[in-house]
Amino acid sequence: MKHSTQKLMVTIFMVGMLVVGLVITPGMSQAALKGNVALVIDVGGRGDLSFNDMGYKGTEKAAADFDLKMVEIQSASAADYLPNIRNAARSRSFDLIIAVGFLLTDAVATVAGEYPDQKFMIIDSVVEAPNVMSIVFKENEGSALVGALAAMVAAHFGYPYVGAVLGIEIPVLYHFEAGYRFGIDWGNRAYAQKTGTDPRTGLLYTYTGTFSDIAKGKEATEAMLAQGAGLVYNIAGPLGIGDLQAITEAIKGKGKEAGPPFMIGVDANQDWMGDGHRVLASMLKRVDNACYNAIEAVVKGTFEASLIVMGLDVQGVAMSKEPELLTFMEFGIGAGKITEKDKDDIISNWKNMRAQIPSWIWNAVADLEKQIISGNISVPTANTLADIKAVRSKFPLTR
Amino acid sequence: MRLSGSLDELKKTVGAGVIGFAVSALIMKVYGYDPISAYSALFNGAFGDSYGVAESLANATPLILTALTFAIGFRGGMFNIGAEGQLYLGALAAVTVSLFHLPSGIGFALSLIFAVLAGIIWSLPVAILKAVRGVHEVISTIMLNWISQFLSFYLVARILVDPLRAEKTISIAESARLPLLVPGTSLSYGIFVSVFVAVIVYFLLWRTVIGFDIRAVGHNPVAAAYAGIEKWKITLFVFLTGGLTAGLAGAVHVMGRPPIYAIYSGMPSIRGLGFEGLAIAMIGRNHPIGVIFAAIFFGGLLAGGRMMQLLAQVPLEMVRVVEGIIVLFLAIPELIRLFSFLRKAKLPLIFPYKRS
Repeated sequence: MKHSTQKLMVTIFMVGMLVVGLVITPGMSQAALKGNVALVIDVGGRGDLSFNDMGYKGTEKAAADFDLKMVEIQSASAADYLPNIRNAARSRSFDLIIAVGFLLTDAVATVAGEYPDQKFMIIDSVVEAPNVMSIVFKENEGSALVGALAAMVAAHFGYPYVGAVLGIEIPVLYHFEAGYRFGIDWGNRAYAQKTGTDPRTGLLYTYTGTFSDIAKGKEATEAMLAQGAGLVYNIAGPLGIGDLQAITEAIKGKGKEAGPPFMIGVDANQDWMGDGHRVLASMLKRVDNACYNAIEAVVKGTFEASLIVMGLDVQGVAMSKEPELLTFMEFGIGAGKITEKDKDDIISNWKNMRAQIPSWIWNAVADLEKQIISGNISVPTANTLADIKAVRSKFPLTR
Repeated sequence: MRLSGSLDELKKTVGAGVIGFAVSALIMKVYGYDPISAYSALFNGAFGDSYGVAESLANATPLILTALTFAIGFRGGMFNIGAEGQLYLGALAAVTVSLFHLPSGIGFALSLIFAVLAGIIWSLPVAILKAVRGVHEVISTIMLNWISQFLSFYLVARILVDPLRAEKTISIAESARLPLLVPGTSLSYGIFVSVFVAVIVYFLLWRTVIGFDIRAVGHNPVAAAYAGIEKWKITLFVFLTGGLTAGLAGAVHVMGRPPIYAIYSGMPSIRGLGFEGLAIAMIGRNHPIGVIFAAIFFGGLLAGGRMMQLLAQVPLEMVRVVEGIIVLFLAIPELIRLFSFLRKAKLPLIFPYKRS
């Protein structure tokens, strides 16, 4: 017994030496190459088929186009935000550090002060520092379009409500909510004008308090469907996967395959999810373009520490159309959700789905878009709790 | 614990750790990552320079305290997994104090005191249910963890919310923060609080009468009862002390962690610290001094894990797998002891579970 223990110890020691030897010998120092870009992501993580994946996609494309090395850094905890960004800056090997998402604001602001020569770009937030480019979107404008669409489609199919599943109560989400409310109200009026009856489509909304717990999205959507929601707008990144599960179960429970009820996707073009006929439209927020543009600016020497606001006019936000559907299906193929040969079915399902909505509804939404771009209509937004409360009381959308 | 015994434990730990590292290296290799550059990044990030050491210690700061919660319970033969819920409320209690504008010294002291009290109060039902009705602590702590979680969600989003920034609570007043020990890192003076408390717990368990009684109950509750030790007193003491350290863990984390000194909605910065403490207690053989080293090692894994992504391009998911395997192997010797203890004591084997 004693002998065998000793033998075991010797074996363990030998294995240990082997591993230590392997670890210690090769080059410890990492060569600080120019032509690197870091992408730091918050706890929501990759695989959301939405916001974070788009940041990845845009950065990856730029890295390929400009021959850069891309390093992705995910955060296991919110306590990692600061160290992750600081580590990247400390390594002094990145031409640009991209912070994807609002929650990284304080960490970027802190590290930008510590490393004034390091260039940063942050999405969805404004950091005022001489080395930070801030890119934000007019989510209220895009949300107004899908809100108008949702209200009219719900009325068309006889649903009393539309829904919205939101994440954490942050100012960015207030932009969505404010625009959505305005859009629903506009859609109700447009429907009344066309048909002569005011549908008074109401809004059911839930702030789930999470951008990562997919089950919460499903629970919230189930509750909304039970109350008569005809469309549910995903405003919580990955939670859309749960939203769609609930919608799919409801549809299949009726022995059908295609909606209504429908989901409305967010950030990415998520229309391909649900076989192409359960997600009616998506509010695109081109995080990918933002990342690409920032990297391009660094490469071309035009990087500026400025605030860039991307609205409907520059296609920073948009309602989904067919061309992007093809691009974004690659997401699903990459994630193993769909395969190459599903593509044709999805596209024909998608076309059939959209064709069952009367064309006057689509035209009305297009008209709203034109008026927003031309400045005839200004969509309200909200940055604080007080702002959003004011919007809520202006557009209560209760029944 | 005698020196030769400690040496033996150390040998077992090192052996288990080596196997853990080797198995992880193999898995990384299989999935196409370079284990050599990965481990090089891990060790450099964890203990390669003063910055790495500071980050490792910063990660260890709350974990030492939550591990103590479990370790104290374990020494008394109790399976206290309530640190998670007590930690949330400790952190929130510390934040609550900053609602009021208090003079600097008072605000700081009150934050710590409130956090400790919150932890103790949240462990009180567990202690009472156990002492009076014999309710198993695994059941009651799991239930209270959930209640604490949803209560905390509510408090973060509704009561303590920053009126200008809805995604987080108000920040701890500047005068009530634990100052940074090393500027430009995440390490605050909180590490001294944690180590100090661990040393106190050591003296409590091994140098006082009540500590002797706790360990006697843990070794053999029947014999302890026969010797006249009143178990309900021990139960109460064990859980309340555990609540104290868990509550304090929440306070040192939120008061000492830059840059926001606040809690985000959904609590992504503090969730899991209580359960991680459980693993650390196992690695540290449920000994307060062992816990200090285990927590620093675990903190190093976390700090080095970040560098694995940055320098070796190992994705976070694989980093977590590596960390998990190493921790599992390190805990095996203590797990074996736990299982044989449970078998001898004819206790049911109940596994706590965690839903992400």
